[in-house]
Amino acid sequence: MTKGKLPASFRDPSGFLFTREGVLYRQVNREYTDEYGMLMRSGLYEKLVKARLLVAHEEVEVQPLEPLLAFKVIRPERAPFISYPYEWSFSQLKDAALTTLRIQKRALKAGMSLKDASAYNIQFVDGKPLLIDTLSFETYQEGLPWVAYRQFCQHFLAPLALMAHTDVRLSQLLRVYIDGVPLDLASRLLPVRTRLDFGLLTHLHIHASAQKRYAGEAIQAQKSRAGMSKGALLSLIENLEATVKKLTWKPGGTEWGDYYDITNYSEAAFAHKKELITSWVAHVKPRLVWDLGANTGVFSRIASDAGYQTVAFDIDPSAVEKNYLQVQAEKSGKLLPLVLDLTNPSPALGWDNKERDSFGQRGPADMVFALALIHHLAISNNVPLPELARFFHETGKWLVLEFVPKSDSQVQKLLASREDIFPNYCRQVIEQVFSPRFIIHQAVQVGDSERILYLMEARKNVV
Amino acid sequence: MFFLTGVLLSGVSDKLAYLDPGSGSFLLQLLIAALLGAGIALRASWGKIKGLFGGKPAKDEDADEDDDD
Repeated sequence: MTKGKLPASFRDPSGFLFTREGVLYRQVNREYTDEYGMLMRSGLYEKLVKARLLVAHEEVEVQPLEPLLAFKVIRPERAPFISYPYEWSFSQLKDAALTTLRIQKRALKAGMSLKDASAYNIQFVDGKPLLIDTLSFETYQEGLPWVAYRQFCQHFLAPLALMAHTDVRLSQLLRVYIDGVPLDLASRLLPVRTRLDFGLLTHLHIHASAQKRYAGEAIQAQKSRAGMSKGALLSLIENLEATVKKLTWKPGGTEWGDYYDITNYSEAAFAHKKELITSWVAHVKPRLVWDLGANTGVFSRIASDAGYQTVAFDIDPSAVEKNYLQVQAEKSGKLLPLVLDLTNPSPALGWDNKERDSFGQRGPADMVFALALIHHLAISNNVPLPELARFFHETGKWLVLEFVPKSDSQVQKLLASREDIFPNYCRQVIEQVFSPRFIIHQAVQVGDSERILYLMEARKNVV
Repeated sequence: MFFLTGVLLSGVSDKLAYLDPGSGSFLLQLLIAALLGAGIALRASWGKIKGLFGGKPAKDEDADEDDDD
């Protein structure tokens, strides 16, 4: 692969992404000349960018990476953090699906059509889903059905239906199946009652049977008789839209439940914790904050409300859903909630394991919050303390670490059903283990609680 | 004529179709579109029949659906 070319960007011969001196560019290939011209001239580009549905770009005069193929080089606006559909909560995936359909409707009006409907082409920017692939459009050919219909159903409709009707955790199937959930699998996992819904019956159940029935059959002949009018195509898109809109999922009590009501924090201690974090964030001025184990984002908002781009990770889909809905209500564009199991974070996936970056590859962040987190990692998941120190050292330049002592009822709960094999889990050993990798700038007892809040800075050149 | 249209269509559209639409997925869309079309026609004529007997014509559901523009 040519040096600088992004490994995720190889499927579509219309062009590809590359970086040069840290700047992200997209090469538009010659074979895409006409379509690109139509996108720009028809007013579709301007309309979509104005509506914040499509990423904005500038045409630039730089040397293409592969000049023999090149028509143009554009510089797209860069998403502050790349996330993947298996990290999204229900409403995030639903909003991404509806955005894709909204774009397709507008494209059809302008005489174009989406030639792919990959969930990976959507990124959350300023709190809203945005199509980041400028080369996803082709000239609409009257008579033909939607080429990306199968992909839309696999990437969006199937996982959404499974999350709504079977179990919300089935979003994780997207981590296994890079081109979306196979429809026959979705059809088997969905309850029978979903066959009573016209949209789910046709787009998923019958779709799965049709795929099986016509697998490998040439459709060149059928293409010639296709004759699907634009009106018919629009009604299909609108039906997909209505089917997606009808899918709902209500976050139950979160895994953390009324966490903040039952922690050992008095109101004063809670306020003290907030105050400490606020002043430390103001001191560090991070460009990117990762709040690990963020719950519904109470402390993430200290950073995002101050204008710093913040990603709030949590293992619990309910907490992430609530956080995302709150982001929508507040229009707090600097905060991106994501589902992540830190004990088994997103791996590198796809062709040659290079298409989707792992959690670690997307770092390090400028500042990491690990608030009331390490007892879960050290005690529930048996991670040795030196391992934790190494992990956090690789993950962020600054670390806000909260130590919850064994005497705390939250830790007692974790130890209730098991042997206490953690003699090292104490303040002294934590400081001893973290010191070789971090400069401990602050260690403050939080209000009247027994918890300690640390501000640490990663040491450079640690092997 | 169908044949001719087909030749024209397949000639142009295959140029950039890097995605496999899938044969089943391709054909199913035609079926769903036909069903939806029949549904719309049925509703429209039902509206007309109701209109004959003095009922109010059915509201166009798609009218407020379009949040574009």
